[in-house]
Amino acid sequence: MFFHMILERNMHLHPRHFGRDLRDKLITKLMKDVEGTCNGRHGFIVAITGIESVDKGLVLDGSGYATFPVKYQCVVFRPFKGEIVEAVVSMVNKMGFFAEAGPVQIFISNHLIPDDMELQLGDMPNYSTSDGSVKIQKDCEVRLKIIGTRVDATEIFCIGTIKDDFLGVISDSGQTS
Amino acid sequence: MTEKGGQGFGNSKGGKSAHKSSGHIILGKDNGSAKSKGGRKVQFESEGSGDKVRKGDKIANGSKSSQAKAPSTQECRLERELPENSKFLMDCEAAEILQGIQEQMVMLSEDPNIKLPVSFDSGLMYAKRGSYRTKSLTVGKILQPLKIYGVSDAEICQIANLRAESVEEVFCLIPSLKAKENKIKEPLRIALGELTNLRDALDELAKFNESVAMD
Repeated sequence: MFFHMILERNMHLHPRHFGRDLRDKLITKLMKDVEGTCNGRHGFIVAITGIESVDKGLVLDGSGYATFPVKYQCVVFRPFKGEIVEAVVSMVNKMGFFAEAGPVQIFISNHLIPDDMELQLGDMPNYSTSDGSVKIQKDCEVRLKIIGTRVDATEIFCIGTIKDDFLGVISDSGQTS
Repeated sequence: MTEKGGQGFGNSKGGKSAHKSSGHIILGKDNGSAKSKGGRKVQFESEGSGDKVRKGDKIANGSKSSQAKAPSTQECRLERELPENSKFLMDCEAAEILQGIQEQMVMLSEDPNIKLPVSFDSGLMYAKRGSYRTKSLTVGKILQPLKIYGVSDAEICQIANLRAESVEEVFCLIPSLKAKENKIKEPLRIALGELTNLRDALDELAKFNESVAMD
């Protein structure tokens, strides 16, 4: 799910940037340092939408760098347990399949795929029902529930299930919007 | 670069310990390190539903008994994990914000220092899927009346993102609403109907525009 929040960060700026464009330099550096990063608490920081405030800088002893506390508004994407997401299948193998919902990767184990679906190997491996009416293969959309999250230094990885009511394939690969 | 540690986070290398004396965080701290207390690099939490999922019979309209925590507990936990000033966004809302930023980037693209990260594109694509025609204001107005019945912002966003076709589907996929089922069943049915009509109308309009463009 997406969130809009205000975060704060201490920005270190080299003395060569001190001058009339100091604020612009700070903001550019903030965008470069923060956008696209991920942490366990906030999730993926997708985009900075605005600067709330830039407080007074403090010159650090010995280095000459200055530290500026910057508050900024941003859009973050953070999955949480129990959330229902619609993801696009990226890979199918005998252990299950991987899907992507935005920047988050989700793994669905074969234990959490309905029992009436079996793996069909071939050029395009897929999980399908015996009559072939429902097929999970690369690029198709599935609705799944996140049942676990793992937080790494730079990404969030989730475990999901489609073994509940109203979960499963939404559209085939040819109809992905 | 020194990062301010947030509540519940370990210190990053060379960083200062900055636990707030108030016991809670007033402003979210952007912490560059994801290491939690005790030096754990990875945490894995699971509801363990793999062991307890029923095999065989599924009732299409039935609600599954699940080991989910009490609804209010889950939502409280989510609100505790996020900074106080966090706002839940519907996917269509996020799509509008990110689309606006992308359009600005076209103008700023001459500056090589400003680049959009990969997660931006994937986030925008995810937010736009299926909802790129609906305006967040319209969806918000349709779902707003549910707030009178105690539906929270998080639940409203989840309902909007689900694109469910029936009330049973919503109650099954958002267990926290079960507690208010008696109160919100009818208003929810009306809201879902309005959302479906809106999407159908926009799809028809898009098809009409496409056919006009082709002529």
